[in-house]
Amino acid sequence: MKRQPLPLVQGTVDMFVLYALAPGPMHGYGVATLVRGRTDGQLTIEDGALYQALHRLERQGLIEAEWGPSENNRRARYYTVTPAGRRRLRQEVSNWRRYARAVGALLGDT
Amino acid sequence: MPRFSFLRRGRHRVGSDVDEELHAHLDRRTEELVASGMSPEEARTEALRQFGDLEAARAYCRQQDNEKDAAMQRRLMLEDFAQDLRIGLRGLLRAPMTTLVVVTTVGLGIGATTTIFAAVNAALLRPLPYANPARLVRIYTDTPPNRFPFSVADYLALEAQQTTFERVAAYESTQMTYSDGVTAERLQGRRVTWTYFDTLGVRPAIGRDFTIAEGMNGGPKAVIVSHRFWQSRLGGRLDAIGEPIRLDAVAYTLVGVLPDSVGPLERQREFFIAAQFETPRRHGPFFLAPIGRLKTSASAAADELHAISHRLFYRNNAATWSQIDLQTWIVGDSTSIAALAIAAVVLVWLIASLNASNLLVARVTNRRRELAVRVALGATHGRIVRYLFSESVLLAFGATTLGVLIAYAGVSGLRSFGADYFPRAAEVSIDGSVLGLVLGLTLGSALIFGLIPALTSATSQNVEMALRSSGRSSTGTRGVRRLRRALVGAQFAIVTPVLVVGGLLLTSLSALSRVNLGFDGHNVVGGAVLLPASQYPPARAIPYWDELQRRVAAIPGVTAVAFADGRPPNGSQNFNDFDLEASPTPPGRAHPVVPWISVSIDYFKLLGLTLLEGRLFDDRDWRDDTAENPVVVDRAWARRFFPGGSAVGQRLHSGGCAQCAWTVVVGVVNEVKYAGLDKPDEGTVYEPLNRESNAKYLLVRTVASPSAVIAPLRDTVRGLDADVPLSEVATIADLVDEALARPKSLSILVAALAAVGLLLSVIGIYGVMAYYVQQHAKDISIRIALGGSRGDLFRRVVGHGMIVVAIGVGVGLLMSYWAARAMAGLLFGVRATDAVMFSSVAGLLAAVALTACALPARRASAMSPASVLRDD
Repeated sequence: MKRQPLPLVQGTVDMFVLYALAPGPMHGYGVATLVRGRTDGQLTIEDGALYQALHRLERQGLIEAEWGPSENNRRARYYTVTPAGRRRLRQEVSNWRRYARAVGALLGDT
Repeated sequence: MPRFSFLRRGRHRVGSDVDEELHAHLDRRTEELVASGMSPEEARTEALRQFGDLEAARAYCRQQDNEKDAAMQRRLMLEDFAQDLRIGLRGLLRAPMTTLVVVTTVGLGIGATTTIFAAVNAALLRPLPYANPARLVRIYTDTPPNRFPFSVADYLALEAQQTTFERVAAYESTQMTYSDGVTAERLQGRRVTWTYFDTLGVRPAIGRDFTIAEGMNGGPKAVIVSHRFWQSRLGGRLDAIGEPIRLDAVAYTLVGVLPDSVGPLERQREFFIAAQFETPRRHGPFFLAPIGRLKTSASAAADELHAISHRLFYRNNAATWSQIDLQTWIVGDSTSIAALAIAAVVLVWLIASLNASNLLVARVTNRRRELAVRVALGATHGRIVRYLFSESVLLAFGATTLGVLIAYAGVSGLRSFGADYFPRAAEVSIDGSVLGLVLGLTLGSALIFGLIPALTSATSQNVEMALRSSGRSSTGTRGVRRLRRALVGAQFAIVTPVLVVGGLLLTSLSALSRVNLGFDGHNVVGGAVLLPASQYPPARAIPYWDELQRRVAAIPGVTAVAFADGRPPNGSQNFNDFDLEASPTPPGRAHPVVPWISVSIDYFKLLGLTLLEGRLFDDRDWRDDTAENPVVVDRAWARRFFPGGSAVGQRLHSGGCAQCAWTVVVGVVNEVKYAGLDKPDEGTVYEPLNRESNAKYLLVRTVASPSAVIAPLRDTVRGLDADVPLSEVATIADLVDEALARPKSLSILVAALAAVGLLLSVIGIYGVMAYYVQQHAKDISIRIALGGSRGDLFRRVVGHGMIVVAIGVGVGLLMSYWAARAMAGLLFGVRATDAVMFSSVAGLLAAVALTACALPARRASAMSPASVLRDD
């Protein structure tokens, strides 16, 4: 059965984008596809929000962008995580895990 | 990403990047949905739905990109600038001598100019700190070339008869002993008319001004004290007003306290007592300094002063009272000193800047190939100019930093030591106009340095030519050479007057120090003793002086003791007028006025003066029953008034007092300087020193060095009365040094500046010549190879440099003539247009420049043509 999508916790989009880019350079479409596939429609992330996050992270120097050829031989903007971006990702992921554990413990999960 | 691509990427480009990215996303999503079975329209709608608010996303992304670009642009600009500075600094450090010379000389120029300007600004330019100071004048008796103070009779007449001043006042300096019942100390103060503070527009900060009753003979005795006196001696108590202040053992009621900051007339003065004049019996003596606040125009006041003095002295045509703007009076002869000092420092600053410019031009031309390579490697024209400009900026910055440091040190030095040279030294400070000057000097220096980038840009355009010419004497450097020769010529033109003026001042100083004082000043020491009038009436004063004389004479090493009311060379306190029996002053003419020194019986013997005619004073001259008052005159007096015959036996009325007893000349001695070393001998009169006088200079001649006697001398004076100290202790040598201090430091300042200027000019001419020889190495070699005479070549090269020097010095001598005449008033014993000085300076400059030219010329004529030509 199809459940209602969950509203997004503030600030998590940036973490998703960094996470998606961590393995290697990827364009915005790839990031959107990956995030959509991973969350299986349970989280409502609009593509526009992802692009906003990409440009925001680029301004902050956490990712870098460069034009390159895409799989279908068109121009695409490829994003790469910078060392500063990787540090931020590690921190965010660890914060999130601690948060999730704490919430779980509170709710009596084992 | 290529380094400068961001510069070409404007706002438009940012927008299209974002659009392209977002459209590509939507296209691809649509294609994917179509592939999964949707119709194209449905697929497009679905893609847009998944995307969310397209417009908001686009606007947000563009904004983020623009911010990022702007930040990057800023960072890159800063990096470029820092890189320019780094390259500039590295370039400068590769030539440490040039950098050092430029920074120190220009820094010194800026610092010295700023310091002197700060002093001039305080002394001459800022108005006096009194209410409406332009209306204040100083009044005096004009008997050219001297200006005399007023007597009490003069002042009372002025006060009664004048109508053109809102107020007149007068003051005199005085020292009094302040005693608080426990300790006593000698303080500087002024005796002023009750109108004094009102005339200046000064209001006491606490209490009130003097009243007319306090200025009346027999009225209440009142005193106003300085803020410092009130703070340190009265504990800053508000209730101190009305208390008695004991000065010379007389109680004055404290009526007011002055503000903390006062004008130049009040500075260093602790107390001001209201003068109460008795109606004078005779015209003199003259000790009051009158001031006035103009009611009407200055010329109307001047006319009235003339008229009053005519009526007063029954004269029909001689105008004897005059007036001058108070600020001009206080500033005095420091105007010419200030003008001279400022001219000297500005000129040296100019020489330093020209020299710096010259050195930098040389640097740039030496690096022509380096710069050409940079251009060939892709540096833009603007980049090269910026790179050179950054060196100039760094140099100007370094020089200014040094200059400001020097200026701060100089200003604090002037505040503590400048009082002898600048009348308002305590007010010297670095204010807005001084900082404006620093800015102006920095810009001026940078502008003179700035000739260089402009020049190089002309050459760097011809990169290929510069590279190809590869050191052959090329036409591209002719302009540079001409500029450098002009710069050096200007340096010589400027340094010439500085040298001439410095030389004239040094000659004056040496003439001043060789002035014959008229007596043997070795081993003479003295000090002032002032007895409080109320404690020492005549009955006590006479035994005091007798006992002091006896005790001082008993000090080991003392061979003679005398008293006087003035000390050579600058210590004459008293001037007096007189009317000769033999040649009475005709109506309408002023009485002659000369220094009038009162001396004790041993004075002449102590100084070792020569008796030329008649007799010296002896015991009868102090007896009260003499019908006539005896005086001894000096040779200059005798020659001036009795050029044909003998002065001895001639009679005169002292002070022009016709009813008084005759004064008769009993002897003639040789001249002594009393009015200053630089003043001509115009006659001095000695009279017997009043035995009951309260203030006397004690003079002592010693066997050996007088310094050993100073301590016992002080102890002896203190031993007689603990409340009466010996003050102003000095040997005659000290007093001569003191009189020479001002001309000495001025001539040292100018001479030092001249030396710096000379050194810089020599560096300049040497640099030009060395460059010339380097540039012409091949021409010269070819000439030698073709059989040219080496002597001819030497003369040719030297002549090339000397013509510049000759033109510079020629122009400089013309300027010197003008400058020396403008400062003639500061000279002594040497004419402003002294031909010897002018020719020595020209000779010195020629000799030094010749040496500077000869070294490169010798190198040129000694060149081996083969090796030079092979080197290429």
